[in-house]
Amino acid sequence: MTEPSSNVHDNPFRKLRYLIIDDFESFRLSMRQMLRTFGAEHIEVANNGAAAIQRCTYEHFDVVLCDYNLGEGKNGQHILEELRHKKLLKRASLFLMVTAETSKEMVMGAREYQPDAYLTKPINRAMLEKRLGSLVEQRRTLLPINRAIDLENYPEAITLCLQSIGKFPRYRTWLMKTLADLYQRVGDLSHAGKIYADVLAQRDLSWARLGKGKVLLADQRYDEAVAVLKALVADHPDYMEGYDLLAEALAQQGRLIPAQKTLQKATELSPNALLRQKQLATVAQANQDMETASSAWRKTVQLGAHSIHDNADHYLSLGTTLCELSDGDTSDVGKAYAEDARSTLARMEKRFADTPDVTTRSRLLQTRLHAGQGDLGAAQSCLDSLSDALADVDSLSADTGLEYARTLFRVGKDTDAKSLLGKLAQRFENDGDIIQKIENLLDEPVGFRQRMQARDLNKDGIKAFEAGNLDGAATAFREALAIVPSHTALNLNLVQVLMKQYSGDRQRKALLTDCQNLLATLSTLPQQHRQYARYQALHKKLEALRS
Amino acid sequence: MSDHSPIDFSMVIASAVHDMKNSLGMLLNSLDELRQEPPDGLTDSSRFNTLQYEAERLHSDLVQLLGIYRLGEQTLSAHIEEHFVPDFLASHLARHQPLLSGHNITYDIVADDINGYFDDDLLTGVLNNTINNAIRYTRDRIRLTAIERDGYLVIGVEDNGQGYPEHMQKDGPVSFKSLDFNSGSTSLGLFFASSVASLHRNDDREGFIRVHNGGELAGGIFEIWLP
Repeated sequence: MTEPSSNVHDNPFRKLRYLIIDDFESFRLSMRQMLRTFGAEHIEVANNGAAAIQRCTYEHFDVVLCDYNLGEGKNGQHILEELRHKKLLKRASLFLMVTAETSKEMVMGAREYQPDAYLTKPINRAMLEKRLGSLVEQRRTLLPINRAIDLENYPEAITLCLQSIGKFPRYRTWLMKTLADLYQRVGDLSHAGKIYADVLAQRDLSWARLGKGKVLLADQRYDEAVAVLKALVADHPDYMEGYDLLAEALAQQGRLIPAQKTLQKATELSPNALLRQKQLATVAQANQDMETASSAWRKTVQLGAHSIHDNADHYLSLGTTLCELSDGDTSDVGKAYAEDARSTLARMEKRFADTPDVTTRSRLLQTRLHAGQGDLGAAQSCLDSLSDALADVDSLSADTGLEYARTLFRVGKDTDAKSLLGKLAQRFENDGDIIQKIENLLDEPVGFRQRMQARDLNKDGIKAFEAGNLDGAATAFREALAIVPSHTALNLNLVQVLMKQYSGDRQRKALLTDCQNLLATLSTLPQQHRQYARYQALHKKLEALRS
Repeated sequence: MSDHSPIDFSMVIASAVHDMKNSLGMLLNSLDELRQEPPDGLTDSSRFNTLQYEAERLHSDLVQLLGIYRLGEQTLSAHIEEHFVPDFLASHLARHQPLLSGHNITYDIVADDINGYFDDDLLTGVLNNTINNAIRYTRDRIRLTAIERDGYLVIGVEDNGQGYPEHMQKDGPVSFKSLDFNSGSTSLGLFFASSVASLHRNDDREGFIRVHNGGELAGGIFEIWLP
């Protein structure tokens, strides 16, 4: 019925360069045979991920046909991510993922870098010819746009997309998606938003709802973003990107507990995306949920084995959460956590031997592990072994500096820790994230269990204050401060309560002295501190009450 | 103490079906490879065609079974995207091409150059089933059609066989209650197709199926109407 395309003079298959990746020789052969019958001439094969990446490093391919399940080592998704991430495979080239039906569900949860198409086994010749034929035709039509994107010439790509929408109705979805994405890349949120709105006006499509949420999030309209994304995952409980973005929006709202719950749901449904596990680990750690954090970090480390996203930081974070869990717990359980942390660090030092700071940061964590298990002698000598590496504090990276300070606190050298953090704060005064981390450490330089205790007491205090129970509030804040004496917001909370008590009973002059002493401990608070405005306001109010 | 926790049999079945489906996938793969190997006398062997046909049928039944399981668990949702309909239909027929040629069935596609909105995985399940049926009951012709009618995309599978018996003809939703598990033919396939159709919604309109006889080929006609 169809004419064999190898006879057609202007054969679209002929000039392209193909790479077939599969661990079974019979499949490679039959795939190669099929491509040959379509007229393809340049066909290379690879039987595993490493070989495939090696090939792509030195050769250009237009079409990659990759089996998802390659046995040991990298799977198809790892290869796709690495090729796209390292830009070994341009957008203008097609990546086709060949899946058995089982693996399809595993592949679908991928966080980024989707293949251009999935081919589900069994694949016969007629099917491959049809499928590949239309993909190759699509590639040819859209090539100028993808070339412009590869060259990062986004304005040109936008112009080409706009011209193509009327001309190629068959690729309209691709063009709309790409156009909206390009507008976001150049920071034109309003045009991006308009495309999603136009699409949604015609049809309720989940990718456009996701896009709408993305634009709202980038525009810092968090409440609206959360509403859109919540509705999206309610309608499509298996739409992973919806959960990822919803968690991000919730985190931006400062609602870390719901953000964590969202990510937990997503990782239950699709546990194999490294970046999703990492996001969960980070949020859980911020929530002081160390059990969840450490198991998510463990998963992140495991998934990193063959991934381009593998990083020493994941090992360090796993070590850190295990260290927190072991801190002050010398029972068998605590010991096991500490042992687990040590072996994690040992694996990291082996795997990332050439990464700067890895040994130093590993030793800092080992120091805290010793201290947490009550062996102060071992802690001290471990820290001493770093004296050369840490001698020049002005050359330390922010992360290493923060770890050093955390360790100094843990071995009781609070003064050294604070002076180190002071220097860091000066060096990184323009980096909001680092400053925030420094402030957090200064506020709560204790283990997570104490941190939780202090936070709970703080919450109790606020509740009591709101209920008008001033004595109860003062007691709760004082108890919290016994655990974290330098906590800025807590100190200010207490000052606020004491002043209110004084306004109720002007005889209790001692309250004002207390306030004055508390504020005096904060007199060195830098202007850029989050609590600075509040500190100043309370300071002024105290002056007024005293005069 | 012995473990008296109840057995969740539907889950056991679902996971067994999953395994069986994958085994069959491998089997079908091998059959395809065998067919391509010389000497190509196999293509003409009716026993080989029966083997492949029955394996295909089993495979698509299992896919459908899993779909129905997920319907029951309410974890089946439609991921609707825009597709170029002629391409979609062509790649479907291509999948069945070896078998169609093996059975000497001629086939064609009569479709407008239109884009349609649907979940291609779900629709693939429905079409595989329907085409398998058509292969079984047609005399020697199968036609896939696609047109836009009354604001719906109508995808049809027509054949020139005896047509659907009276009790299987439908015009609208097929409810689970209406299935007759005592008779030989339960219309489970039509129930699945109908469920997939109704997962496709646009504003207040819902998809549905129509099963009747006639048309240009004067045989059975299966239609899925998508809003």
